[in-house]
Amino acid sequence: MTTVDAVQRGSTWSGVQRWARRDEVRRAACLVALMVTIAVITGPDGSQNSPYSGLRGSLLSRHAIPFYVLAVILAATSLAGGRWTTAATAPVRALRQRTTGIVIPKPVKLVALALLAVLVLYYPTTLAPFWQTVLVDQMGIYVLLAVGLNVVVGFAGLLDLGYIAFFAIGAYTTAYFTDKLPVHPPFTLNPFFVFPIAVGAALLAGVILGGPTLRLRGDYLAIVTLGFGEIVRITAVNSDAITNGPQGAFGIPHFSAFGYHWTLDSLPYYYLLLVVVALVVFFFRRLDDSRVGRAWAAIREDEVAAAATGIPTLKFKLMAFAIGASTSGFAGVIYASKVGFINPDNFPLLLSILVLTMVIFGGMGSIYGVILGAAVLGWLPNYLRDYVPAQDRFIYFGALLIVMMIFRPQGLLPSRRRSRELRLSELGIGGADGTGPIPGSTQ
Amino acid sequence: MGALALTACGSSSGGSSSSSGGGKKTYTIAYQGPLSGDNAQLGINMDNGVKLALAQATGLPFNLKFVDSDDVGDPAQAPAAARKLIDNTGVVAVVGPAFSGATAASEPLFSQAQLISVSPSATRADLTDLGFTSFVRVVTGDTIQGAKMADYVAKGLKAKTAYVVDDKSAYGAGLSKFIKQGLTSGGVTFKSEGLAPTKDYSAIATKVVAAKVDALVYGGYFAELALFAKALKAAGFKGAIVSGDGSKDDQLVKQAGAASEGIYLSCPCGGPTATGDAAAAQFEKDYQAKFNTAAGTYSAEAFDAANLIIAAMKGLGSNITRASVTDAVKKTSGFKGVTHTITFDQHGEGGTGEIFMHQVKGGKITLLGNVADLAK
Amino acid sequence: MCFTQSFWQLTISGLALGSVYALIALGYTLVYGVLQLINFAHSEVFMLGGFGGLFLVRGLGIDNPSGVTSVLLVGGGMLAGALLGAATAFTLERVAYRPLRRRGAPRLAFLISAIGASFFLLNLAGKEFGRFNNPMPPLYTSGKVFSVFGAQVTTNQLVVAASALVMLIALDRIIAKTRLGMGIRSVAQDAEAASLMGVDIDKVITRTFVLGGLLGGAAGFLFGIQFGVQYNMGFSAGTKAFTAAVLGGIGNVRGAVMGGLVLGVAENLGVACVSSAWRDVIAFLILVLVLMLRPTGLLGERLGRSA
Repeated sequence: MTTVDAVQRGSTWSGVQRWARRDEVRRAACLVALMVTIAVITGPDGSQNSPYSGLRGSLLSRHAIPFYVLAVILAATSLAGGRWTTAATAPVRALRQRTTGIVIPKPVKLVALALLAVLVLYYPTTLAPFWQTVLVDQMGIYVLLAVGLNVVVGFAGLLDLGYIAFFAIGAYTTAYFTDKLPVHPPFTLNPFFVFPIAVGAALLAGVILGGPTLRLRGDYLAIVTLGFGEIVRITAVNSDAITNGPQGAFGIPHFSAFGYHWTLDSLPYYYLLLVVVALVVFFFRRLDDSRVGRAWAAIREDEVAAAATGIPTLKFKLMAFAIGASTSGFAGVIYASKVGFINPDNFPLLLSILVLTMVIFGGMGSIYGVILGAAVLGWLPNYLRDYVPAQDRFIYFGALLIVMMIFRPQGLLPSRRRSRELRLSELGIGGADGTGPIPGSTQ
Repeated sequence: MGALALTACGSSSGGSSSSSGGGKKTYTIAYQGPLSGDNAQLGINMDNGVKLALAQATGLPFNLKFVDSDDVGDPAQAPAAARKLIDNTGVVAVVGPAFSGATAASEPLFSQAQLISVSPSATRADLTDLGFTSFVRVVTGDTIQGAKMADYVAKGLKAKTAYVVDDKSAYGAGLSKFIKQGLTSGGVTFKSEGLAPTKDYSAIATKVVAAKVDALVYGGYFAELALFAKALKAAGFKGAIVSGDGSKDDQLVKQAGAASEGIYLSCPCGGPTATGDAAAAQFEKDYQAKFNTAAGTYSAEAFDAANLIIAAMKGLGSNITRASVTDAVKKTSGFKGVTHTITFDQHGEGGTGEIFMHQVKGGKITLLGNVADLAK
Repeated sequence: MCFTQSFWQLTISGLALGSVYALIALGYTLVYGVLQLINFAHSEVFMLGGFGGLFLVRGLGIDNPSGVTSVLLVGGGMLAGALLGAATAFTLERVAYRPLRRRGAPRLAFLISAIGASFFLLNLAGKEFGRFNNPMPPLYTSGKVFSVFGAQVTTNQLVVAASALVMLIALDRIIAKTRLGMGIRSVAQDAEAASLMGVDIDKVITRTFVLGGLLGGAAGFLFGIQFGVQYNMGFSAGTKAFTAAVLGGIGNVRGAVMGGLVLGVAENLGVACVSSAWRDVIAFLILVLVLMLRPTGLLGERLGRSA
């Protein structure tokens, strides 16, 4: 129905439609919907036998009243022209405006760095053992994984959904060389000395997988790597005679090297991870600034053009893939030794997705952003433990991801290149990036 | 230095308590198991069992608090979940961990902290042989259950051929390993296969029917068995279906409907109501009243685990520390639970070693009797 | 060969499963066609569709239905599932996609907000509806209908395959003949040019999501008839369906259908020949092999060229 028809008929419906299309009405409706959603999330659980009881308890009980009151207030002020999101983000925008263009003097930078170093080195010793464990098991390991995946996704622009397979290969290599699998190794080693072998194994697996598949473009690569990750996991499940199947490997010893013995305590593992991450970051930064990094950027931007300028694209893609894989394998060794027990349940598809989420959440391509992203997302579910029912944690987690991507799609600390690209594409210029905007974007 | 502080904290015997409510001390009993993720339901069953036990514990010389720690049933998250409880100095005993993998990953920490963990459900055979000093379990390990299931198939059902299928979970695969050993020694020829949990089991059902076996023995949980039983029925399977304690749940009947009729279910538990025990029936009733849903798999075991901890604490007088509770729990003998009478042996096995066979009859899981008597 | 004995039986059940894969795969392929991105949350559209159908059928509470009542129940359930699926897909587009498009967010940001939406919906459904599998109440007396080459075809399989077929043909016609179909094809071919020609891209995108949601929701109900409805049913079915979409050539409507059917049958025959434990490995190996030989899937990509 065209507007002309409607006007001719003079129907109230078209009036309603026009009213509903007004911005402030939409904003009010959004806020009401948001409040109702929050009321449901925080409300009581339903059950199989009475699936509506949760909704009833959340929306038709005393629980809902504060949310409805808030909804009415927010909606009323919106209709009166108030802009809540604008108001809420105003301080951030003001801060950003005031800080853009300010060049931080070098001494200030150095002091800040020193403070950061003290924080990173000393603060963990003051934490409760639980947080120290979280710091290693749920954050440190993921930071290492995310930094590795960042090379694949952020630098070279390859979408890898089977990244955890290499983590598994590293962990199982450790189990093998510490003689905790049904098949026995030619010689046993302390996990510390399995590092080079595990990294080699993961690298080899990366090359074997990457060789034939890296010819595929974008999302085809994603699904093939996803398949590869599942193949590795299911093979570990089904090869009872080699991997001990679903029962896994128990009793992988702690690291022990140069007269120092790691134990059940998390802190020594934390410092080990710190050293490893620092080395890896140093190495990857050098790499990104080198000819290799420029080749990756060219491939990421436009593969055809990169190939046309004489860059051996397959070689460089394979290199990124193998570097990512070996980092993942390295993390696998640390994990196996720290926890001492591995089984195929440790390496689900969901974990590959989670690490990818960390990379993008932090700001892909930006090493420090990725570290921050992994740390925040590893920390969050554990922080939520004390505040929301355990079974609801991932409702909040999911909501955070959506909100974050709406308000800060470039990630927490985007690389300088990426934020510039994003600004340009908001202005309607550019967007040549292979992982750049999609059709139907503004302008 | 940090490491030193940590060690000191980890091995301190904990059990420090706050005084409240008329000078009575308050201690915390914790639960560790999956409360989120795909296995959340099993974990919630146990969580509720512990909560019920604590709610019913009145007239004690001390107050009890409850705390739970979600490990998602995932070995990767188990150490942090365990650490969470160890850090809480009020915690004097833990019910859990629920899953065998999570147990293997958590126990080194509990042993170091001398914090007793009483698992209601970790049945993996070797858990009690791995050198953990504060681990006991109230369920019978897989070794015995698998062997008894095989006994029943060979002697009770007098099957000549069988098909052994497991769900490739740590639990199912472990159980099926011992079933296969038992079948071999019982002279039953069998084929075996793993089941990828994809919900569509028509292809493997076709395969099982084509193999023309007398019995299908399944190691795994009820959710998959319900769908598998439906597929088997649709494909025209005529043999007996035998499964273990992971499948013994009213949900099996609910989800499989008519296809569940006649399924044999073994369990180290006498299965609360099936024993006809008054305390067990009361437990079922209380559980239903408190949580508005029927007690599920392992709810009763968790209830027993919590109660035996409380009983052990009662015997200690004012000397309640992690170490003393650990000792007292490990010495538990002849504790009358709603599942069975619990006595821990020197390895920490609290199961009786007796396996009871049940069958779905007229939509109800009914007790057939002790496998030792049925398979002679 | 390993499957000679029950080849037809396995093929028939494979086709029934494959047709559900195909319906879900269409949701992925349609969205991919217009936006070139993987709608990760489509698996939750499928799941909620299953619940929509389940609740309607349960709410009606008809015992032992037969004849016309059965047909109405199946139709009603499918409609309820489709509507809830469409509503979910619509909301998803509005909440998790459109704001990002407005900001010209990089493509992977969409992937993450979709993953977030998937976590959110999955866990919320578990919280509200319980975490057990819910079998569908009986909608008809299921049993053997007829035999093909000695293999039985059950009512279940017939209902699922027939409903899927009807919807697939309807979609194919919509894409080929209607204004909406033309809009979808034009945006798929070249969004910018389409917009210059006066196509309202936002509208087309919204409607594409709704169309995919209708099919995905109905698929949830059909899946539920066979295997029950559960809060986490979307993840593995969604992964398979996405595999099917890529196998057939993502963005290609007929390719998605073909991919679904091929995958369903291949998995079943694979189970017979190898082992049920390797089922997913078989599916993914087929995918890898096909992509090695035909890098853009069986029928090649692009929605625009499909009709």
